[in-house]
Amino acid sequence: MLLPTARPTRRFTGQSSHLARKMAVTLAVLSGLSQWAPSVRAQEGVAVKRGGVIRYGHFQEPACLFGGWVQQWYLQRQYSDNLVARSDDGKIAPWLAESWTISDDKKVYTFEIKPNVKFTDGTALDAQAIADNINGWLSNDPDLRNPTAAPYLSDSFESAKAIAPQRLQVTLKTPFQPLLNVFAQSSQGILSPSALKRGLAVNCENPVGSGPFIVDKWRHGREVTFRRNPDYNSAPATAKHQGPAYVDGISWKFLPDQTVRYGSLITGETDAIYDIPAIAWKDANSRFGILRHITGGTPLRLALYAARPPFDDVLVRKAFAYSTDRKAAVDTSFLGSLPFEGNGALSQSSPEYLHELGRAYTYDIRQANQLLDRAGWTERNRNGIRVKNGNSLTVRISYSNAFLKPDGEQALQVIQQQARVAGFDVRLQPTNPADFFAGRNLGPDDYEIVLLYWVAPGAEIFRISWKPDQNGEPNRFNPSRFQDSALWGVIQRAEQNFSSAERAGLYQQAERKIVDEAPVIGFTVLDVTLATSPNLKDVWLDHGSVGEPVFYDAHFDERK
Amino acid sequence: MSRFAEVTVSQPLREVLEFICNVPFRVAASLAIIGFFVLAAIAPKVLQTHDPLAIDLSSSLQSPSTVHWLGTDQLGRDLYSRVLEGAGQSLAIGLGATALSISVALILGVAAALFAGVVDSILTRIFDVLFAIPTLLLALVFVTVFGPSVLTEVIAVGIATAPGYARMIRGQMLSIKGTGYVEAAKALGHPFPRIAWRHILPNTMNPLTAMMTIGVGQAIIWASGLAFLGLGVAPPAPEWGALLNAGRNYVIYSWWLEVIPGLAVTIFALSLTIVGGHLQDRLEGKA
Amino acid sequence: MTLILMKGNEAVKLVAQNPLVWFARRILSGVVVVWAAATFAFLTQCLLPGDRAQIIINVRSGNVGPAPPAELAAVNAQYGFDQPLVVQYANYIWRILHGDLGESYQQHRPVVGIIAEQIGPTIVLAIAALLTAWAIAVLATLLIAGRDNIWSKLLSGAQIFLATVPPYWLATILLVVFAVNLRIFPVVGESTAMGLVLPTLALALELSGFFGQVVLNEFTRVLEQPFVTSARARGMSDFGVRLHHVLRHAALPGITLSGWALGKLLSGAILIEIVFARQGLGGVLVAATSSRDVPIVSGAVLISAGLFVLLSVIVDLAYRMLDPRMKLT
Repeated sequence: MLLPTARPTRRFTGQSSHLARKMAVTLAVLSGLSQWAPSVRAQEGVAVKRGGVIRYGHFQEPACLFGGWVQQWYLQRQYSDNLVARSDDGKIAPWLAESWTISDDKKVYTFEIKPNVKFTDGTALDAQAIADNINGWLSNDPDLRNPTAAPYLSDSFESAKAIAPQRLQVTLKTPFQPLLNVFAQSSQGILSPSALKRGLAVNCENPVGSGPFIVDKWRHGREVTFRRNPDYNSAPATAKHQGPAYVDGISWKFLPDQTVRYGSLITGETDAIYDIPAIAWKDANSRFGILRHITGGTPLRLALYAARPPFDDVLVRKAFAYSTDRKAAVDTSFLGSLPFEGNGALSQSSPEYLHELGRAYTYDIRQANQLLDRAGWTERNRNGIRVKNGNSLTVRISYSNAFLKPDGEQALQVIQQQARVAGFDVRLQPTNPADFFAGRNLGPDDYEIVLLYWVAPGAEIFRISWKPDQNGEPNRFNPSRFQDSALWGVIQRAEQNFSSAERAGLYQQAERKIVDEAPVIGFTVLDVTLATSPNLKDVWLDHGSVGEPVFYDAHFDERK
Repeated sequence: MSRFAEVTVSQPLREVLEFICNVPFRVAASLAIIGFFVLAAIAPKVLQTHDPLAIDLSSSLQSPSTVHWLGTDQLGRDLYSRVLEGAGQSLAIGLGATALSISVALILGVAAALFAGVVDSILTRIFDVLFAIPTLLLALVFVTVFGPSVLTEVIAVGIATAPGYARMIRGQMLSIKGTGYVEAAKALGHPFPRIAWRHILPNTMNPLTAMMTIGVGQAIIWASGLAFLGLGVAPPAPEWGALLNAGRNYVIYSWWLEVIPGLAVTIFALSLTIVGGHLQDRLEGKA
Repeated sequence: MTLILMKGNEAVKLVAQNPLVWFARRILSGVVVVWAAATFAFLTQCLLPGDRAQIIINVRSGNVGPAPPAELAAVNAQYGFDQPLVVQYANYIWRILHGDLGESYQQHRPVVGIIAEQIGPTIVLAIAALLTAWAIAVLATLLIAGRDNIWSKLLSGAQIFLATVPPYWLATILLVVFAVNLRIFPVVGESTAMGLVLPTLALALELSGFFGQVVLNEFTRVLEQPFVTSARARGMSDFGVRLHHVLRHAALPGITLSGWALGKLLSGAILIEIVFARQGLGGVLVAATSSRDVPIVSGAVLISAGLFVLLSVIVDLAYRMLDPRMKLT
């Protein structure tokens, strides 16, 4: 499960609107031409075969087919379109909005909406429909409220309305650059307002969007079947073609057990699966097509509780980092399927990521011991655990398999053993997901380390992670409780700077400070990985933030 | 059961000695296996070849060899030593659950038999309700409410298996009551606790012992089933159910991580079943 | 005077043995059991530690940490958590009488709907396993009862072994060997007949070991009865004797056993469904346990209690019909 609290990064610069418009026109012409051709020339120069049903094995079944939880995003990406898209270099590209302008005070966005787009229930997708969606996300109606959009936009959002049938105007109270990044996330896919009126229970089973696939049936516990939308004409600029999808449909199966899931790909009962078991990584790379998207935002990291001993002392925090060979632990446990991430502040897919920080705190047991001695933890008890003033150096790590794969748990066991050499008494506190969400092992006196992450396109996540407590309310997204006003000052300056070079420089300054103070230590990255069988081509992963599989351009090659 | 047989306390001891000296091969083998695992539970270091918690990343996922008799796991830990280490935990859970089960069953069964009438009806209904719910479902209910942990496992399995024993105890006690023998003892002026200790309990415990032996094996299997679902002890504890759960991820490529712990559970439970069955046969042969 | 009294006793006995009265009493006791199960289910919902509204909100949104009071209040109102316990209990019982087992905390659907749609595959699996277990047990018994050769010893040993094997472990091994490696059966079984084979086998083998032992005991006992000897003396073949005469007698305890076995099978099916990633009650229940979705778990408890009661009444009736020797008590 990924937390949907992502802060988007990209600012919109005025230039790309013209490019976007040109692209849109070119694509429209091409797609018009394509209707006359029985097949379309794809990139490899091979004729694209239409037809077939993709059998895809996913890991987790959500409780509803749309909404704010990330497991719903995977599905929503198939049947709905967004206002804008994000390309793999982080730029915003047109989708339902063919072009847009921003006022000088950065508070009013005006979007030109693509004409002649319909929802699959026949109603028109115009500016009013989009406005209804946006207003619904930020309303208090529990059936419509969107837990992804609300945390970002509720402070800055003022109104969304249609000022002409194909022109949408969004007004903000305060400037908010990441607005378009928020709109690019699959959770912000546009749904038919008349369908939404049917109520949450109906929409969970049968949501209606305008996307390349239509939800046919949801057999709970087994699969969701999609069929092709034959009238699809609203593909994003990031797609590889325009017009209806090539395949006839998708059979989206839920196979939580990884032996069954991977086994089904081996025997050919599925054409693509989500998340390869680490032990099969090498084998999978040699037989199947592998797609991977490293999620942005924070990596999966160890957050050290810095508000009380032992980790209130920066020397002890650094000592813990040096005493654990996390790279070896991750490499052995994940068997190469996930890389080690030494930079605890930011994920490697973020534009502001600094490579040298990825090598921070490499294993150095001597250094660890020295730091601990300097910090006053000089005595050891009978078991070799360091003691100071009668307290032993106990480190409790809270985590849940909702946020950590079994391989990660193995890596924690390695760390447990490694840190013992330096005198840390590491205890693991695995917590089942429901307890975790209820707050168990997460109270202020319950842990010294907790494993969590947040998904975002880039360094915007710093605001969420490091905003100091205000009005007595703790920042629930800062489990390390590390508060530094200088750091916060840098972050705020970065957000208000519209020069991309300066902004990146400021964020990197913050990044260095975070790694130096070590309230968070790097562990590994989050990723979305797909394995596809050799005869399924042109599946790609969306770049909004999560990396959902996109089957719109996919097709089977002639061999099937 | 002979109507007028007087079972005194010394008789069980004689029976045990007779029992040990005159057993079929399979029972002897089972006893040896049980002895092996009990030794592993009490003094694992005697039998282990490596430290069960020692991580050795350079020898991860090795198949069985002369160095690591049953292979190694993901982190290079010796599987043989881990299985032995897990014996203690699994046995403790099995014994704990069975002990809880018997205690509850004794209280309820005795009460139902002695106090007849309304109390009996109510208690029998309670047994029926617990019987009506599948064991795993009952265990899941406990875990849902109390969260997964060793204690919950023990309590869940214990309470779920109690009704079976309770019914049996109640039946036994009713038949003892029916012999009129207890009445005679009462008429002779023996105080009730003495009657219970010298006459009622031994007569009930004999068949119960056989059931318990088998029951411990079943309790271990249930508990490891819960751990298999991820509702068990915390790592790196090598409890057998946890090993089975972890091994599942590697079974396609490293079969020993799943096959060996499963065999350990099976063989241990099997040994207990054979011994318990033999006990039952002997007791019935005597009756 | 004594005559009247005696006649009175006889009258009571006759009434007690009257099938209708017996039936009514069984039904009544069944209702009591179901009511007790319902109360038990309600108590589990209340005993859930932690604030129920908090858990619901967090699990739905994937967020960790305290939720704003306004959202908590909305959820509390929606599910009626803010009312006194007695009122909640009364509402609960009232809704059950109308067939409403509450709404899942995670899915926005009634529990009855969720369970109804998922229970089908589980029942299919359970019944298939039951029948297969019987088939295997009966076959084995026909072959080895009363004989004393090497095969009977092996088969007998195999039965004991199978009765102890944890079915979920066996299931994993069967899956890897026969589906992934040998590709005889599909990995993703879904609703095909071929896909049912491995899960059924995994469940049935354990049960067949147990059945086999029981039937074998009964069979051997009956084989020593005089009427069997006379049948043989009349020239019937050994196999014929076993099939025609002995089996019927030996099968009687099997009927009671089947009732008990279905409960055991339900537990087993939950685990097997997880291993094979099959649709069914198992996946729903385990997911509900992980997310503390108590209405589903307690709804399942109630339904299984109800089914079990129904089943035991049927079993009792069947027993009575098949064995006229038994009086209604």
